[in-house]
Amino acid sequence: MYRPPAPVERVCQWLAGALILLLCERLGGALSQWLSLPIPGAVLGMLLLLFGLMAYGSVPRGLAEVSGLLLRSLALLFLPAAVGVYFLRDLSAADWLALLGATIVGTLLSFLLTALLLRNLLDKKPGRETGD
Amino acid sequence: MIESLASTPFVLALNLVAFLLGLALYRRTGTPLLHPIVGASAFTAACLWLLQIPYDHYQDASGLLYALLGPAVVALAVPLRQNLPIVRRAAWPLLVTLAVGAALAPAAGVLIALLLGAAEPVALALAGKAVTTPIALGLAEKVGAAASLTVGIVVFSGVVGAVLGPPLLARLDIRDQRVLGFALGINAHAIGTARALEISALCGAFAALAMGLCGALTAVVLPLLITP
Repeated sequence: MYRPPAPVERVCQWLAGALILLLCERLGGALSQWLSLPIPGAVLGMLLLLFGLMAYGSVPRGLAEVSGLLLRSLALLFLPAAVGVYFLRDLSAADWLALLGATIVGTLLSFLLTALLLRNLLDKKPGRETGD
Repeated sequence: MIESLASTPFVLALNLVAFLLGLALYRRTGTPLLHPIVGASAFTAACLWLLQIPYDHYQDASGLLYALLGPAVVALAVPLRQNLPIVRRAAWPLLVTLAVGAALAPAAGVLIALLLGAAEPVALALAGKAVTTPIALGLAEKVGAAASLTVGIVVFSGVVGAVLGPPLLARLDIRDQRVLGFALGINAHAIGTARALEISALCGAFAALAMGLCGALTAVVLPLLITP
């Protein structure tokens, strides 16, 4: 029968998960610097972790929980940068207009085009799935 | 007094309270227009303004949150790994869409801005609009765009894509969660990925994949295209 892990065990699993994430980030950063790659360290770290997990065969429980928590609070991590939008001062009115137009129309346009392209490419493939 | 208000614990508490308020507002109203980032950032900006805390101080005091962004990017490998078989089966369509999308997203932004008569710094900052903030900051430095402007544009694009993108596709009757996730990841990066993870794990995995690859691709190609 399945026995839920004791609190101490769970804390250890969490810490191990957090440690894995930090380690991958550091390794990615070191690798990016060492090979002077233009790819940011965190993205390399993500790839390292992905390869590691593929080799390991499954996602350790603690890592899955810590990652889930971090990803659920992504909006919180972005808050300081988002608040900066309210403090952009050194722009003319014309610049603001161009910026708003380009961001809103540009984002929606490329959103729509990428979605249509991917849908058509996926539809062409034989034996496709609906994805749910 | 202002000094103590700009201290790290106060600012972190402010961020947390703003986030929870934004989340509660979002859940209560149920409209994607009030994504937590919208309510939370408006509340935080209003607090900073009322308490007369300079944005620079606030940004410095929020260092812990910035420090967690790196591990969060790494954590995207987990939903990716969990959905790897589905991702693998769609590998070619995904790669083609990625290459087109990575070029299209900044090009659409820059072109529209130039048509509307934007100054060069604004157009430059728009070039980095389709990549997630930690990557965009490094990029802005390399192509010589203003950092605050770049971050502002990235976040604003993210909010626009995450908020308006899903209803747009629903209206066109595109219900494939792989398509929605991928479009969110390319065009609305981390904020879009956060939104995709709320929709489903599959949608989130495709968003994470698109965001990571699009960021890496843009980070490699853009500095080669634009030299300061």
